[in-house]
Amino acid sequence: MKGTELVLRALRDRGVQYIFGYTGGAIMPVFDEMEKQPGFKFVMPRHEQGATFMAQGLSRASLSTETPQVGVCMATSGPGAMNLVTGVADAHMDSIPIVAITGQVATGVIATDAFQESDVVGVMMPICKQTYMPLTAEEIEKTIHEAFYVATTGRCGPVVIDIPKDIQFAETGKNYAFDPKKFRPKLPGFYYHPTPQRDVVHKAVEMLNRSERPVMFCGHGVIASNAGALLQEFAEKSNIPVAFTLHGLSAMPLDHPLSLGMMGMHGTVEANRAVMNADLILSFGMRFDDRVTGKLNEYAANADVIHVEIDPSELDKNVATTVAINADVYRTLHVMLSDPELIHKPRRRWLKEIDDNRKETAGVEEEIARGVGDGGQLLMKTIVRRLSEITEGRDIIVPDVGQHQMMAARFYNYQTNNSWFASGGAGTMGCSLPMAIGAKLARPDERVWSISGDGGFQMNIQELGTIMEQGTDVKIMILNNGYLGMVRQWQTLFFDGRYAGTPMQSPDFGLIASAYGIPYQKVTELDQVDAAIKSAIEHDGAYILEFICDPSEVILPMIPAGGGFGDMIVSRPKA
Amino acid sequence: MTPKKMKRRGILAFVQNKPGTLNKISSMIRRKMYNVDTLTVCKAKAPGVSRMTITLREDDEAKVTQIIRQLEKFTEVIRAKELDRDQSYWREVAIVKFELEDKEYAKLKKKYQLEILDSQPHDIHIVQIAGPTERIDMFLDDVGVDHFIEIARTGVTAMDK
Ligand SMILES: Cc1ncc(C[n+]2csc(CCOP(=O)(O)OP(=O)(O)O)c2C)c(N)n1
Ligand SMILES: [Mg+2]
Repeated sequence: MKGTELVLRALRDRGVQYIFGYTGGAIMPVFDEMEKQPGFKFVMPRHEQGATFMAQGLSRASLSTETPQVGVCMATSGPGAMNLVTGVADAHMDSIPIVAITGQVATGVIATDAFQESDVVGVMMPICKQTYMPLTAEEIEKTIHEAFYVATTGRCGPVVIDIPKDIQFAETGKNYAFDPKKFRPKLPGFYYHPTPQRDVVHKAVEMLNRSERPVMFCGHGVIASNAGALLQEFAEKSNIPVAFTLHGLSAMPLDHPLSLGMMGMHGTVEANRAVMNADLILSFGMRFDDRVTGKLNEYAANADVIHVEIDPSELDKNVATTVAINADVYRTLHVMLSDPELIHKPRRRWLKEIDDNRKETAGVEEEIARGVGDGGQLLMKTIVRRLSEITEGRDIIVPDVGQHQMMAARFYNYQTNNSWFASGGAGTMGCSLPMAIGAKLARPDERVWSISGDGGFQMNIQELGTIMEQGTDVKIMILNNGYLGMVRQWQTLFFDGRYAGTPMQSPDFGLIASAYGIPYQKVTELDQVDAAIKSAIEHDGAYILEFICDPSEVILPMIPAGGGFGDMIVSRPKA
Repeated sequence: MTPKKMKRRGILAFVQNKPGTLNKISSMIRRKMYNVDTLTVCKAKAPGVSRMTITLREDDEAKVTQIIRQLEKFTEVIRAKELDRDQSYWREVAIVKFELEDKEYAKLKKKYQLEILDSQPHDIHIVQIAGPTERIDMFLDDVGVDHFIEIARTGVTAMDK
């Protein structure tokens, strides 16, 4: 068999339905084979970066469905492959399984600076989970199956397979046989220990039972191991409040009485104070990133830390643990829940203190109710809150990166498990539109909102072409404040209001929408907001809503970068 | 980046003998902003497996643990550990070409176990010396910096007691 046939056969055996690909000289043979072997749904992005985020959207959103899928993207050598770099690095930071397949120049000319040659393996190695370059036709299937295994096992991540053009054309020997069912990757160095040790878990339970001021952290690992419902059950059974990382959002309802909302740089007062004053932290599937911890030497100074994490290299990396549990979150929660000694402790003082702190965040509710800033322009907070109420918190939200992202994290009341897909670790502007497309393909029966700023929307605006071509029903919100708002906020707070490189002129988004045949509304008045959201919902198909927002709106609280929780800015400094 | 005063650490890793493994390991160490003191690789007993000995400088135990855990995270790394200096032998080999008068040279020959590779007229010698790093350093001190012509050192290889 020919190399290209094997590529597609392996993808089919792995249950791949969608291929997000952009062709070119070095990957043409694989595309040609796709034409001969129907069965895949092919989606062409308008830029290879779009393909990586569509693949991410598919992987992220399908994770909690009955048929989890791994997003596959394809690109040609050189510039095509280099356009994948940002999305692959982003997937690596956020532990998202995707498989990127790139064409490479023929082996005979590799390392001669051949036309469209880039050292893809060299570039990708430090920013993905694993790279491969098969050098014979026989290696192709084995490589692809191993790549899927590595991408989806343990802490997930992107893998890159770079296939030289002559290998795509190469034929296997006559005796070549490969049985995907019998295939087991030979990876003596692959470390994967999902099952926790019962005695260590029991020790953790004893610590929880003793603790008067515990707080539980819900990280991405809870979503990734589909453990949201278990976490909620555990929180209720043990009576321990839960704070969320950016990626832990939507693992359980955000308005649950034990929920503290998001913690960290833009976290709620109640979450951050709880972390500051806790005597015990029980953390599930997260990595104590600097946006979560702030200044490390002041972080959770009085707390013992129990850290449950599938990746052992995250244990004790940033925060020293008292008990480290290197295991899958779902399995660990399962063992904890079945521990007969686990008690429900009232902890009235602690919960009262937390409720008092909640009141401090409540000031923001007045702002939301007002709905407009001093200049009469719309507030993002209010728009997100209206969306949340109209959709009852049930829709899928795919934010871009910036102020609107933090607003969407804070003010949408997530009710559906795994309904929030953000670029967190990398914070890649432009991710939203393509990621929303992938999410919609994975969950066609649910409503998907892409929420972008005026800046980020223009970073992958070309994917409106994909939406047009595929007829993808993505509801698009542009929260247009005329600025790179998040940077502007830093300039307001820490750079004496010098707005260097942040004011931004945008095109007429209405004309752009009509060029792509997508209905559009511009919203400038508060009393238009609900009706506009409803018309987007009622329309069968993609819809663009542009909201003209107040550039001086800020997202608070905020812990300044490098600051400690004590430095939290809760209310806006008076100008 | 790494001032000389810091404690010298030895890391032993058994890795799959595959293209790119060395690259991956050395870039991770670079990313953590270490300057590798020495790095040696040879075949291990098991087929397809290489044995890698890395030395670098770090005082902080937690950071060394981090390096080891990140090494172990690579699928190509089968096992990695820190070598306890008191519980292992660290050795290296040097080939040294130098110019020295007969009397001095005789003294050195007596003090160190040298393998003479070549002795030419005009007092030029090429010798091989093996042993702990400190011993080789001491030998080089004894030869004296003004007398060297060329030095080649292998870097450390090590084994547990
Ligand atoms: C690709 C990329 N470039 C630059 C940044 C730095 N950055 C973070 S937020 C932000 C501003 C985003 O502006 P906009 O999309 O309008 O959203 P807003 O903050 O105004 O809601 C910038 C420039 C980034 N995160 N990603
Ligand atoms: Mg903006």
